[in-house]
Formats: sequence, C-alpha cells, structure tokens
Amino acid sequence: MKTIICGLVATLAILSGCAATVTEAGYYWGDYSQTLYKYTVDPSEVTLANHVQELENIIETSREKGLRVPPGVHAELGYIKARQGNDAAATAHYETEMSLYPESRLFLERLTVETKKGSEKS
Amino acid sequence: MNKLLLLFLATVVLSGCAGVPVTDTKRNSYPSMYSDQKPISMIIVPAINESTAANAGDLLNVTVTQPFANQGYYVMPVAIVSDIFKREGILEGTQIKGLPASMFKKNFGADSVLFLTITEWDKHYAVIAGNVSVGIEYVLLSTETNEVLWSYTQRVVVDTSGNANSGGGILGALIVTAISTAVTDYVPIAFKVHESAVKALPYGKYHPKSGADGDDKVVNLSAKENAVQAD
Repeated sequence: MKTIICGLVATLAILSGCAATVTEAGYYWGDYSQTLYKYTVDPSEVTLANHVQELENIIETSREKGLRVPPGVHAELGYIKARQGNDAAATAHYETEMSLYPESRLFLERLTVETKKGSEKS
Repeated sequence: MNKLLLLFLATVVLSGCAGVPVTDTKRNSYPSMYSDQKPISMIIVPAINESTAANAGDLLNVTVTQPFANQGYYVMPVAIVSDIFKREGILEGTQIKGLPASMFKKNFGADSVLFLTITEWDKHYAVIAGNVSVGIEYVLLSTETNEVLWSYTQRVVVDTSGNANSGGGILGALIVTAISTAVTDYVPIAFKVHESAVKALPYGKYHPKSGADGDDKVVNLSAKENAVQAD
C-alpha cells in the first residue's frame, strides 16, 4: 500500500511537473493515450493496472485543479471495475459520468443492464 | 536547422498537393452545426481501413477521443464502444456503413456518428531518412436526419530521421531511423492528423467558444468535399 501511494505521489509529481497541460475545454488528460495504447497493443494485468492508475490520476488531478473530469474517463474506469466484478465501484463511476455528462445516461444505463444480465448468466 | 528545412519543404509539398486552397467560414461550410441540429454527443465507430496496415484501426481508437472531446463534444467512451462492436462481430467500419444512423441514437443515445476512413498509414524508409504518413477522412452524420454535419480530409507526413545532431554518422542515423519509425510513432502522428482536422470542426457545447466560431475562415473546401466524394 505504501509503495503504491509513494508511486502515485511520485507519478503525480512528475506529471504535474511536465505534463499537467489543461486543454481549452478545461480538460486534464495526463498520459491517457499512452497507457491506453500500451494496454491495446499488449493487454496484460500490468498494462491494465497502469491504465487504471492513469484514469484514477486524471480524476484526482482534475479534482485538485477544480476541472471537469474529461468525457468517458469515469465511464471507462467503471467499465473496467465491472469486468473485475466490482459492481459497487462500477455503479459509482457510471453515476458520476451521468451527472457530469447527462447525454451519457441512455448508454450507461443500457450498459449496466447488460452487465447484470451477463453476470447472472455466468 | 535540417528539421526546419524539412518542415518547410513538407509544407510546400502539402500545400502543393491540395492545389490553391479555397477557404470558407465554419458557418458557411457546415450550416447545420449552427442550427438546432448541432450534436452534443458523438459515437466514433470502428474505422474503415483502406491502408495496408492491419492494426491501424485499433491504434486509431487510442488517439481519437481526446481531440474531439477537446473540441467540446461528448465522445461516447471509445474503449467501451469498440468492445461492444467487437462482441457483436463488428471489427471494421465497412460493416456498419450500410446501417441507418438512427441505430446509434436508439442504442447509444448519440446525436451523431463519426466515421473515419484511414486512407494512408505508411512508413517509408530511406538510407538516412524515413517518414511516416497518415491520411484520414472524417464524416460526421446526424443520427436524427442521416445528414452529413461535418466532413474533412487530413493528411500529415512526419520526418522520422531522428535528431540532426544525434551524431554517429550514417550508421547512427540508420539506427535512429529504424527505431524512430517504429509503430509507436503513429500515436503522435495520428494525434497531429486529428488536431489539424478538428480545427475545421465547429466547437461543441463543452468548449467555451461554442457557437462563437461561425465566422472563423478556416475550412479548406476541397478537404471538406474530398471526404464525402468517394462514398
């Protein structure tokens, strides 16, 4: 746990040092495309964990800077949590995405229903 | 210095290819984007890949969310959406092309659907220089009316021959070329292509300049027309 926090703090320090750019629309994306890229070309527990950590970092940094979390970040994190069987966390992230971006509601509600169906089947 | 020269040359070549660019304002080019048809959300469907690179579509997914979200649109989460398409057996945009756009309203709640066609995704090696070129066509359709809301064509060529001052002579340069023309280079280049293209896209709801950019004269009309011509 300690190492994770240390790592997180170090990552944050590095990120806020050189990559803490905020777009005109007011979004902070961190290393989103890099960690997603690495997970896409080499899907593994490690690359997934790194991507999750980056999504969490984006949420945390956005909060610190008083920014709206970019579209899809909470939804994507919720989707990963759902696949890992953590339905409570998934629901919480979907709810946050819907309150930030009401236009995501129909999609995320359908996704929740389908996820439930999927877990009942298995 | 070398880089500057290449950049200059690239600019000359690029502007040469497109003939004399005729530009118009965003409002004149895309009037629906300044009406009540203007979408808030968009779903980006798997790309149509006309290039020789088999995994270009997958890599494009990684880069496409940010530029369009930064322009002020709610982009339906691409990582989830592409998973859903994969589960449905849809891996390539051509499989979706024939479907009515209203399907994306009904199933995803999206106001608009963005089709991407990768026309070029190549690397070229030369002895001491290499380059990567990426070309993409964008067509944004309304899911209510099936009408084309926005279209654009963009191509970027990036020199990957490494730093001019990297040293090591010709052999050094060769190694740098081979390494830096690796697949990872497509990510920043794809970003460049998107970022150039979205300059012609009217700002969406979540951008502070939404609705205020109608008079920006930045739309290259042939880039707008070329994207819809072949289809």
